[in-house]
Amino acid sequence: MTNFRHIKKGPRRTDGALIVTGRADFTGDISLPGMLFGKILRSPYPHARIVEINTEKAKKLEGVKEVITGKDIGYRRFSFIDTPAFPADQTPLAVDKVRFVGEGVAAVAAISEDIAVTALHLIDVKYEELPPVFDPEEAMKDGAPAVHETIEPNTTTAWEDFGIPSTKSRPYKAVNNISNRNLIEYGDIGKGFEDADYLKEDRFEIPSTSHMAMEPHAAVASYQPTGKLDVWLSHMGFEHKRFWLAKLLDMPISRVRVHKTYVGGAFGGKISIFPYEFIAAYLSRLTLRPLKITLTREEVFCVCPPSRRMIVYLKTGVKKDGTITAQQVKVIDDVGAYRGSSPTALYLAHVFRNPIYNIPNLKHEGYGVYTNKLYTTAKRGHGLQQIVFAVESQLDMICDELGLDKVEMRLKNFRKKGDTLPNGDMLRSYGLPECLEEAAKKIGWREKYGKKKFRGLGIGTASMFSGAHNFPFSSAAMIRLNQDGRMILYTGQAEFGNGVDTVMAQIAAEVLDCPLDYVIVNSGDSEVSPHDLGNWLSGGVFVSGEAVRRAALDLKDQMLQHAAAGLDIPVEDLSIRDGWIIPGSDESKKLSFSDISRYGIQMAGGDPLIGKGFSKCVPEVYFWKGKFNKTASLSSGKGRFTEAYGLTLAIAEVEVNPNTGEVEIVEVVLADDCGTPINVKSVEGQIMSQAVMGIGDVFYEEVKIKNGIVMNPNLLEYRVPTANDIPKITSIIVDSYEPNGPFGAKEVGESPRAAAISAIANAICNAIGERIYTLPMTGDRIMEALHSKNT
Amino acid sequence: MKRSVLLSVNGERREVFIKPNSTLLEVLRDELLLTGAKEACGSGECGACTVLVDGKPVNSCITLAMEAEGKAIETIEGLSKEGKLHPLQEAFIDHHAFQCGFCTPGMIMSAKAFLKRSPEPTKEEIRNAISGNICRCTGYENAVDAILDTAVGTEK
Ligand code: FES
Ligand code: FES
Repeated sequence: MTNFRHIKKGPRRTDGALIVTGRADFTGDISLPGMLFGKILRSPYPHARIVEINTEKAKKLEGVKEVITGKDIGYRRFSFIDTPAFPADQTPLAVDKVRFVGEGVAAVAAISEDIAVTALHLIDVKYEELPPVFDPEEAMKDGAPAVHETIEPNTTTAWEDFGIPSTKSRPYKAVNNISNRNLIEYGDIGKGFEDADYLKEDRFEIPSTSHMAMEPHAAVASYQPTGKLDVWLSHMGFEHKRFWLAKLLDMPISRVRVHKTYVGGAFGGKISIFPYEFIAAYLSRLTLRPLKITLTREEVFCVCPPSRRMIVYLKTGVKKDGTITAQQVKVIDDVGAYRGSSPTALYLAHVFRNPIYNIPNLKHEGYGVYTNKLYTTAKRGHGLQQIVFAVESQLDMICDELGLDKVEMRLKNFRKKGDTLPNGDMLRSYGLPECLEEAAKKIGWREKYGKKKFRGLGIGTASMFSGAHNFPFSSAAMIRLNQDGRMILYTGQAEFGNGVDTVMAQIAAEVLDCPLDYVIVNSGDSEVSPHDLGNWLSGGVFVSGEAVRRAALDLKDQMLQHAAAGLDIPVEDLSIRDGWIIPGSDESKKLSFSDISRYGIQMAGGDPLIGKGFSKCVPEVYFWKGKFNKTASLSSGKGRFTEAYGLTLAIAEVEVNPNTGEVEIVEVVLADDCGTPINVKSVEGQIMSQAVMGIGDVFYEEVKIKNGIVMNPNLLEYRVPTANDIPKITSIIVDSYEPNGPFGAKEVGESPRAAAISAIANAICNAIGERIYTLPMTGDRIMEALHSKNT
Repeated sequence: MKRSVLLSVNGERREVFIKPNSTLLEVLRDELLLTGAKEACGSGECGACTVLVDGKPVNSCITLAMEAEGKAIETIEGLSKEGKLHPLQEAFIDHHAFQCGFCTPGMIMSAKAFLKRSPEPTKEEIRNAISGNICRCTGYENAVDAILDTAVGTEK
């Protein structure tokens, strides 16, 4: 085993002092000279035609600088996914009709927030109400109200812009409100069910939950008379944001600068462009003044997309001994008013199950369905916790009915290290069985299972990509040596609580065998940082971290070359130790990093010593001038997507009070195979964080929507876990060493949540001896289940 | 109508010209540019805006600035002294007690007031003390440990 200097340790966050002193600047903390404030007028109706908007009175209010409506902006469409088959369907402000309560219809720029709010009241909008549809299964029926008319693209799609060989954008007609669909099949599902001794069919329903990032969404935009746009955003990676800002504003991408800000939590919810971000930029361009839009907490709840609402129909066939022979999945994704990331989610809801169980015959069909509700998006394990909840619930029921041990049954069906998945992805590292063994041992599964009334044990599993090859496709990093021997590392990674600045510094300092504070990280600034994948699909460490490792190696190589020339000895005789370059065993001739910098400048023609590195996930998937190698398809599930899967196994033990339905969590154990943990403390933090988020998911979190209106848009009615709600949580890191990851690392930021949800949910159902097919498992639902059992 | 109010913030006398209904949080952030206290809910439900008024933690988003007139207001910006971090700040870094850090200033201020009241707390008491400070990232336990550690390290 290698002896690491920084890896597998838990150094303090390099930016910690900024955070604890309140000096870390979040978007809301940015204010610029002459800054205006923006506010957005929102629709009170779930479905209505906009007949007329009168902005005259608002425009006349003193202090108002601009009032715009959807007509002014026009049909500039954007979406998380924008392909010829599924063209973008959303405009920054509604143009002709509104499709959900809270959709923006007009916006104001004023010299203060108060004036902007007053101006909103002076805007007169005439609506003609249209029949809404809220239930996705109703929406799919013939004759249901159509949420969208045919969408006529008026620009190229993002795919065409990226150069992905494909057909031209074409109109999209949502038949029966179906916004998108996929169908993934392998093996022979009919035969698989025939081979089964036992079949089980169920329906599960998973509601939306809010990311509830503590920082409310905000944007500051400053369009300059030179034609450049500076923005400060709450974001998870700048490429997505600047691509869409540039496209919607019709300006070159390089002229949009997304600055680094601290981001007060993201959890997948801040990937895509938001209407308010575009509106801030648009109003700043109109007024030629900096402008800020801050959403209230209520706005965040009512207009920013929460997690995906999914209905899952699941049918599984097993042999008597528990071997799974076939599984049929139908997912209905109630996307709400706009499709957003649904094509991705429907695919991920399949592919994230691939590394868990070996299911020889499978059919997975998915439907995104438009309804007149708040649209939805990715949240920490996009599509993962929904499908995991269904699958793991059903496996538990199967085990109960066939009298199988739940641990053994899972171990029997797990995949194996070295397996190639149906889409071609490989499991070069695979610690899931070990995770289950260790978690079961820790909780005492065999001693405790079924021993005590109203005590329950439950298992949850999950897996997650370590980055993927889709837009923005790859990551790069640069590292520059300075005269003082310190280095500045440039990476496009976004710090939103993931500790990524520290992790990247650890990787570079490990390669260069120097103290951590030799590396100063400059991250997340689109004008300074090289191209970057961003922090979603959990590719931060695996892809961008690898780019950083290679950049540091490149710099090291250059440093050694110069040292060899300067000392006139062969490069092979040199090594770097503890921040010094040491020739052979002769410590007396050692050179400092600073010496090398001087050598480069004085003796090597002024060489500034800049290391460069880059990395792409699944490099064999590429396209270039009409060539497209190994097409990967969200719709058919064919083709490779990632190089490594992070895996989590959770086991929970709970006790239920049969008189009240109250649940006490005795313990949750999460065993996580994240490969080598770069920063052990950050990894433990990620696991803990998700276990606690999962507790919220299981017990109380749900964005409640009635007649299209969000009923609980505040922290009193939308409860999240507090310090008083934290049970004993134990994390176990199973280091499986991923050969393709930097120092053996892979994903950890997303899979534990899904595993925790299922484990706790299964434990509750085990304790009460009844199944609950939906979340959250509130006291009322538990009591209801107990009653139905007794009657 | 706006009026002038004299506030004492982190030991500094600051005169501000504000509306009677301005909240303390607005005045701190927008008038005095002390942006350490955050607004996450604006309605007293999350603790991100916690500052101390005469040593007591208040949700500054629902406290009128005028009510704090003549009282000692303490914000996260006033915690480090002579270029040195406060022991709570050091402990929060040591224990990885934050991730995104948005809740951190408020939580540290709550903790500071709490340790003054209860210098030898149990974990349970610490959990209670910060139960009004919502953190979406960390799961709280590292913060509880950081606060406990600070208490243990404080001279009795
Ligand atoms: S912002 Fe003051 S309590 Fe939430
Ligand atoms: S650290 Fe992000 S909310 Fe607490």
